[in-house]
Amino acid sequence: MKFSQFVTILGFLKKEFAQVFRDPKMRIILLVIPIMQMMVFGLAISTEVKNIKLGTIYSPNDLILRRIEERSLSSRWFIPAIGRGTLNEFNVDPNEQIRSGRADVVLIPPSGGLTKALERGEGQVQLLIDATNVIRAQSIERYMQSIINEVLKDEFHLNSITPISFEVRILYNPALESAIFLVPGTMAMILCIVTILLTSMSIAREKEMGTFEMIISAPVKTWEVLLGKTIPFVIIGMINALSIFIIAIAVFKVPMRGHFWQLGISSLAFIVTTVSIGTLISTFAKNQQQAMMGGFIFLFLSNLLAGVMFPIDNMPYLMKMAAYSNPMTYFVKLLRNIMLKGGSTELVSIYVSVLIIMAVLTATISYKRFHHTLD
Amino acid sequence: MNFEFSLRRTLSIAKKERFHILRDPFTLTMATVLPVLLVLIFGLAIEFNVKDIGLTVYDSDRTLSSRKLTEVFISSQYFKIKSTNGSIIDAISDLDSEQSKASLIIKPDFEHNLQSTGNANTQFLLDGADNSTAGVIMGYLSGIQQAASFKLKGQKVKPAIELKTRYLYNPELSSPWFIVPGLAVVIIAILSILLTALTVAREWENGSMELLLSTPVQPIEIIVGKLIPYTIIGLAGVMLVVLVAIFGFGLPFAGNIFLFGIGSLIFLIACLAQGMLISVLIRTQQLSMQIAMVTGLLPSLLLSGFIFPSESMPLFFQRFTSILPSKWFMIISRGIFLKGATLADLKLPFLSLIILCSILILAATKKFKKDLEP
Repeated sequence: MKFSQFVTILGFLKKEFAQVFRDPKMRIILLVIPIMQMMVFGLAISTEVKNIKLGTIYSPNDLILRRIEERSLSSRWFIPAIGRGTLNEFNVDPNEQIRSGRADVVLIPPSGGLTKALERGEGQVQLLIDATNVIRAQSIERYMQSIINEVLKDEFHLNSITPISFEVRILYNPALESAIFLVPGTMAMILCIVTILLTSMSIAREKEMGTFEMIISAPVKTWEVLLGKTIPFVIIGMINALSIFIIAIAVFKVPMRGHFWQLGISSLAFIVTTVSIGTLISTFAKNQQQAMMGGFIFLFLSNLLAGVMFPIDNMPYLMKMAAYSNPMTYFVKLLRNIMLKGGSTELVSIYVSVLIIMAVLTATISYKRFHHTLD
Repeated sequence: MNFEFSLRRTLSIAKKERFHILRDPFTLTMATVLPVLLVLIFGLAIEFNVKDIGLTVYDSDRTLSSRKLTEVFISSQYFKIKSTNGSIIDAISDLDSEQSKASLIIKPDFEHNLQSTGNANTQFLLDGADNSTAGVIMGYLSGIQQAASFKLKGQKVKPAIELKTRYLYNPELSSPWFIVPGLAVVIIAILSILLTALTVAREWENGSMELLLSTPVQPIEIIVGKLIPYTIIGLAGVMLVVLVAIFGFGLPFAGNIFLFGIGSLIFLIACLAQGMLISVLIRTQQLSMQIAMVTGLLPSLLLSGFIFPSESMPLFFQRFTSILPSKWFMIISRGIFLKGATLADLKLPFLSLIILCSILILAATKKFKKDLEP
């Protein structure tokens, strides 16, 4: 690279940084909001189902059912149904309790009570579960089953021995803590949003305002314009990545079992890819509104198809293809692998290469389209 | 503040805004067709009942019994088995390199223990880096345990207390029934916020706001006038989504359609007003857009109770998320679609939505300064 070209690009960098950071609100948005979002999502979201409202239909003197209820309520999963104790408990229709939202689950013993039924040797308990949230419903059943097993074992010494038993060990995140699972995913989401929007809107604004024509008419080459416009966003993205990583490790105690350079390279590859995609979107947009809509479509699809909110592996073939052409999918896997599993060299090198190929591809297409608009 | 309100002036603003929208067919299409398209795509794509889970089996016993145990895993159809003859290290490194989600390690004395003591223990390693899949797999294990006990010992394990579970409102635990009413809320929320986030900012950037301000039109008239056409577009989008939900995915529409219509109307206006408030406060399109995305996209995806239930959040965040209109409409949408909830059941969500909606419109009007200096 000739010295004069270097100076040109440096000039662009200065202009772009000045433009972005001139507005104090923009400074806050770019540097503070990602940190705040990380904090809120990390603290608020729990994948463990908690505060399940438990209703019980009693028969008089039903000791075992009482035990099951007590144990459920003293576990960290269940809370009493709304209006518990104030209602006439023997008469409230269980379906109505769930429909009105006073209970999420209702335990119904056989007529005459569970204790008597057990003496007869027919212990069948009915469990009504509100299944409007499928994941929650399945967890509720699992929790209830384990509580009933405990009650049988501890208090009535009715141990149901099974010939086969599994000794389950959960690796990497033994307590299945929500933050450790979700923080890498939300990190990727936040980084993606910041870089895509910043890039696509910034170029679209220059088009809309007409300042783009000025840049084009100056004696600079297309690639100089492109580099000058995109490098600042890559730098801002990397600053964000660093601050988010620090929060993930310091506040949320996400383990960092891999190397920092692996994390650095992966983030750089991902951010370069998203900045290129942002540039590509802006080459299609005539104004900022269209850039915004384009950015939204990309962000919405990539956020939902990255394996953070839904498992990708059992999507239909076409959607799986879409998920595997989404850079965020690879970045989320990279983050989890490096931070939680110590970074398998093979996986990191393959996934980073995939990201680099995506970056090169989108950058080339945007360069071509850019060139086109210049002519 | 002078609080005169003229319907005529409001309608002229609405008419002007209508021209803006019609002139940009790209945005118009986005606003009406995109929600249906996204609901359709994701309704078909999302499936929580995980299948073909990669399972590495390390069988160091290699007896009839250990093979039978592996067969139980295969015939459950949840797992895709990858056998390894190498060392026990392979069983773990497969998890490290994302080749499998779980490993089954059968110890050398498996059959011996089973026959002599009647109880054999095997190790099951689970990839905890992915909480949601780990939870699903643990759910499958108890069923597999019973099936294996039956196959290996011919004995049906009958627990002393048997749970008969009935799943209400979604008896088959169908994923689309769960996803579609929620996804509709998320998409409508974010699109509405985006639609209005740029309208006022654009007029400031273009300079046409100065023109508008030199007329006798009042802030409340500008706000309401700009909201009307977007509300109509939004309602059209909602209607299409409801049709797709019912006829495309076979969702029951258990409740009152009229109630749902009123709910969506209030919700739409609340989201549009949120976008408007951003636009009024910020005055530049690029920044408005950033803030719209920050306050719109991730909160409605992650904090509204769409997938991660609000009830599981810490108490502070349960309260904090009450400022999100999408949290309340999520309850209304799922309640009316699946449960057939009535207005009496939903009085809290409806009341909260109305309050949020009024606060947002009021704030946008108050913050709408008529001076030209920002």
